Amino acid sequence: MMYGIKVVLGYLLGTDIADRNLAVYPDDTFIVSYPRSGNTWTRFLLANLLFPGAPVTFANIERLIPDTSSQSNRALKRTPRPRFIKSHQYFDPRYPRVLYVVRDPRDLVLSYYDFQRKYRQIADDYPLATYVDDFVEGRLISADWGTWGENVASWISTRQHRTDFLLVRYEDMKKDTERELQRIAAFLHLKTDSDRLRQAIAASSPERMREFEQAQSRQWVATKKHRRDIPFVGPAQSGRWHSELPDSLVAKIESTWGSLMSSLGYPLQTLHTNPPADSGMAQLQPLRNS
Amino acid sequence: MLRKLTHGIKYLLERDAPGRSLFIYVDDVFIVSYPKSGNTWVRFLIANLLHSEDPVTFLNIEQIVPDPDLQSRRFLKHCRHPRVMKSHHPFDPRYKRVVCLVRDPRDVAVSQYHFQIKRGVLQTGHPVEDFVRDFVAGTVSPYGSWGQNVGSWLIARHKTPDFVLLRYEDLMRDAVEGLAQVASLLNIPADRSRLEKAVQFSSADRMRAMEKEQAGQWASTRETRKDIPFIRAAQSGEWKVTLSPNAAALIERAWGGLMRVLGYLSEPAPADAHQTILDLLGIASR
Repeated sequence: MMYGIKVVLGYLLGTDIADRNLAVYPDDTFIVSYPRSGNTWTRFLLANLLFPGAPVTFANIERLIPDTSSQSNRALKRTPRPRFIKSHQYFDPRYPRVLYVVRDPRDLVLSYYDFQRKYRQIADDYPLATYVDDFVEGRLISADWGTWGENVASWISTRQHRTDFLLVRYEDMKKDTERELQRIAAFLHLKTDSDRLRQAIAASSPERMREFEQAQSRQWVATKKHRRDIPFVGPAQSGRWHSELPDSLVAKIESTWGSLMSSLGYPLQTLHTNPPADSGMAQLQPLRNS
Repeated sequence: MLRKLTHGIKYLLERDAPGRSLFIYVDDVFIVSYPKSGNTWVRFLIANLLHSEDPVTFLNIEQIVPDPDLQSRRFLKHCRHPRVMKSHHPFDPRYKRVVCLVRDPRDVAVSQYHFQIKRGVLQTGHPVEDFVRDFVAGTVSPYGSWGQNVGSWLIARHKTPDFVLLRYEDLMRDAVEGLAQVASLLNIPADRSRLEKAVQFSSADRMRAMEKEQAGQWASTRETRKDIPFIRAAQSGEWKVTLSPNAAALIERAWGGLMRVLGYLSEPAPADAHQTILDLLGIASR
């Protein structure tokens, strides 16, 4: 009952976390990704492009591009429109315009592993092999957002080819940030030039973001209550899995999502036939011909 | 504010319908489908399988196979486990055991068209092709378009354990076989006579007779025109006479790849059909 009263008060005062109950406006834009896919970097890049006046930091990012899973309905209602909102949700038919950031799941799992240790959701000595099992089976803290494959496929299968959907790969953003940010700007119809793009990129560099994190981690909702010895801004690299993820675990991920990964342009290492024979997901055969 | 207060009080008394915020148990079973895909028939089939003692009617169906968008939080909390529920939502990762019912979208469009007239949303004589245009855009539905709704479930769950895909058309041909798959998902020992009885209790004729008596009391028909029945043709292939070639082509162009995967198009998708992720994954072309 006490819990119920707390929920109702939160609802009445608008202090409840928005999540899936967010009121969506037709001019909203969502930056969607599975956790640890470079969403925060994308938010910084975009915020620096949209609001060039003052530097974007961890102290103001939630005001500029708020997060559905940490901000209240009231805070989101107060965000000036048109709103740019961050989300990890699986396909939501109400989201009018979506920028989806995707990252190689083999790198993502390593980043998520560090992150969950930072948040003390798993112990420091939690076996990586068990963690990868949890990851592919959908037993992580992110279970309500689906597995990586479910989340990615739910958006791409419903929205690809539409003018209100843009798919961006983290790896492409690392390789040629200016080109990808230019694509994002064009998608959002933002007037911009090379100088502004470069300024936004410089203002969102991993070094700067690490400096901000050092100074402001106590002020940011995503880091303030968590251990400081593991940083939120990770190595910011792609391809880490080549050296850090054992072959057996690479094979586990590839046998689960192989066909989706290759269609996204992530070449498979352990499987040479495409799509893999034992993949659980997306192995749609024509059911029959009527 | 008053609306919020009322909702708040309802929440405390657990009288509100939870919808998306339903607390989900791991053993919950969901019958998912796009509206007008034969969901009510399948609900009756499954309900008659679960409650083989007395026949299911429009008066008790909401209790036996409830809809979390309609029933109260309190009712759903006290349901017998495993709960079997009905839902029109697109892919939801929290639903772990799923019966997914699909139907030829051209027939779904025809059925929705008639239902919208019954509900008074559309006027009699509204041009079918206009409706089909909205149907394809998916703008009139809170559950996404047909392709988004069905595609999101298939891409995420097809061929995984605890996911049963049923085609309305196959059920029309042999309901016992489809129901047997559901029984095995539900771990219900289902001998042939029990399955046949459930099919018989859920026949279109019986459902029509019950609708005549109970339409005024059932939530989905209470406030709709009584001169148009809810249980309508119960046929497949009706689109061939109702939809103009143009209207049918709109649907085929929008979802050709997905329709082919489901066996609704035997010929290759139209050349200008959108390539779907299903094609990309090489699953529609084989």
